[in-house]
Amino acid sequence: MSVFRHFSRKLVLNTFKSDIKLQINTHCSVCLRFLSYQPIHYDGKPDPGPVFIKKEVQTLLRTLTRVDLAKVFKKRRFGETQLQQPVYKFMTDEQLQEAYEEAKKKVDTFLQIPPVVAVRKPKDKVLSKDPALQGLDTSAFVFTDISYGVRDSERMILVRETDGTLREADWETRDRINQLYFPVAQRQIQTPKMFQDSNLEDLLKRGEYNFILDRACLQFDPNDPLYQKIVSITYQCVNDNNHFNELRSTRHFGSFVFFLAWNKLIDNLLLDIIESEHIEEAKALVELYSHIHQVKYESKENLQQIDEYIKNHASKKAALELAFQAYKNAAKRKGEVEEGIKRAHGLS
Amino acid sequence: MLVPSSGTGQYAALSAKIIRFVRHGCTNRPFFHIVVAERRREQFEPVIEQVGSYDPMPNERNEKLVSLNLERIAYWLGNGADCTKPVQELLGLSGFLPIHPLSYMAAWKNRQVAEAAVVEEKPEGDHK
Repeated sequence: MSVFRHFSRKLVLNTFKSDIKLQINTHCSVCLRFLSYQPIHYDGKPDPGPVFIKKEVQTLLRTLTRVDLAKVFKKRRFGETQLQQPVYKFMTDEQLQEAYEEAKKKVDTFLQIPPVVAVRKPKDKVLSKDPALQGLDTSAFVFTDISYGVRDSERMILVRETDGTLREADWETRDRINQLYFPVAQRQIQTPKMFQDSNLEDLLKRGEYNFILDRACLQFDPNDPLYQKIVSITYQCVNDNNHFNELRSTRHFGSFVFFLAWNKLIDNLLLDIIESEHIEEAKALVELYSHIHQVKYESKENLQQIDEYIKNHASKKAALELAFQAYKNAAKRKGEVEEGIKRAHGLS
Repeated sequence: MLVPSSGTGQYAALSAKIIRFVRHGCTNRPFFHIVVAERRREQFEPVIEQVGSYDPMPNERNEKLVSLNLERIAYWLGNGADCTKPVQELLGLSGFLPIHPLSYMAAWKNRQVAEAAVVEEKPEGDHK
C-alpha cells in the first residue's frame, strides 16, 4: 500500500509544471480525481446582464485584465499553416507612436469580453394538437423558416411529432438546425467530445484553460446552460490553482473576474494582486465587488476601501490582512527611501 | 450553360407558375428541392427560384428535415402560383396552410392497417 502511495504521489508530482506550488497532504492517499467542482449558472435572480453592461463595470474589467500588448499580439500557431509573413518597417518616432495607437484600437476587438447573461429557460410551447394525424409517419418533421434577414435566436423552427403535435423546437434542436442551415465557421453540429466530463477533466489537469474557453465561446451561445457549466468549472479551477496569468491579457479575464465577484470568490485574486503590488487593480477589484453587490464603503480613499473589504467581506481575512500590511510597510519604506534620495539631491 | 439550382429569377409575366418538388440527390438517395417554376417546363429545366428543401430520409434522430422560405412562398402564392399536392401536404404539416385532407386520409389508412395487423396476430396466438 505504501509502495502504491509512493508511486502515485510521484506520478502526480511529475504531471505538474515546475512553476506551480502544489500542496499534497503526504499522509492521505493521493486522489487523482480533480473535477470535484459544481457548475454555477447565472440564475437570473438577479439578472447579471444589466450589471455587466454598465460602462463603469466594463472599464473596471478592462483595468483588471492588465493589457500586455506583447501577449495580445503574440504569434499564434494554427496547425502547420503560417498566417502571414512578418513585415519589418523603418519608422520615425512619430510613425511608431501612430502604429502604437492603431494597435491599441485593435486591442479593443481582440479583448471583447464574452457577454455574461442569465441562463436560458427551456422552451415548451405547443402550437397545435392534431391526434387525427397519428400514424401518418414514423418520424417527426422539423420545419425551418429560412427567410432572409431573420436572427438565429428569432428564427421559426417547428417540430411536427408522430402523434400530430406541432410545437416549437427545444433549444438543442434549435442550435443544431441553425448550425445546419446557417453555419458559423468552425462550430460543430454535435457538441465536441472535449466538453464531456472526463475529457474536460484531462484538459483542466493540463492547464489548457484558454483552449477550453476559446472553443466554448465559439461553440455555444452565452445563455446556453452547457456553456455556463463549462466556463464556471474552468473559472473555479483557475481560481483554486491561482493560474491567473494564463488568462491575463486575454478576452476571458473580464468575464472570469465578473464570475468571481458575482459568486464572492475574489479573495485568491485579491491576494495575488496585492502580493504582486498592483494596487490600482486591487482598488478596481474591490470597487467591482461594490458595484455588483451594492456595498457602500464608508471611506472614499481607495486604500481604506480595500481595508474595509478585507475586514467586512473577505473570507481569507488573515492572509489578506497580512499581505496588505506587508504591502503598506514596503510602500512606506519605499516612500522614505525616495524622500531621502530627493533630499540628498537637494530637491526638497 | 450551367444554371444554379437556386434559380434564375427569370420568368414570363403571364405564365402559370407552380411550387413543386424537384428530385435531386442520387440513386436510392432522394433529396427534394422545393421550387417555384413555370408549370409547363420539365422537371430539370431551370427554375425561377428555390424556396426550400425536403429530405425524405430520416436522420440519426429520426427527423425529416424541411426548410421553407415562407416569405418567398407567401409572395408567390400571392402572385398566383399553384402548389402540387405533396407541397400542400408539407405546408399543412408545418402550420402555414391548413392540414391537407390527404394527410388525414393517409394517417387513417395507416392506422387501419396497423389495427388489422394486431387483430390478425391475436387469433393466431389464441389458436396456439
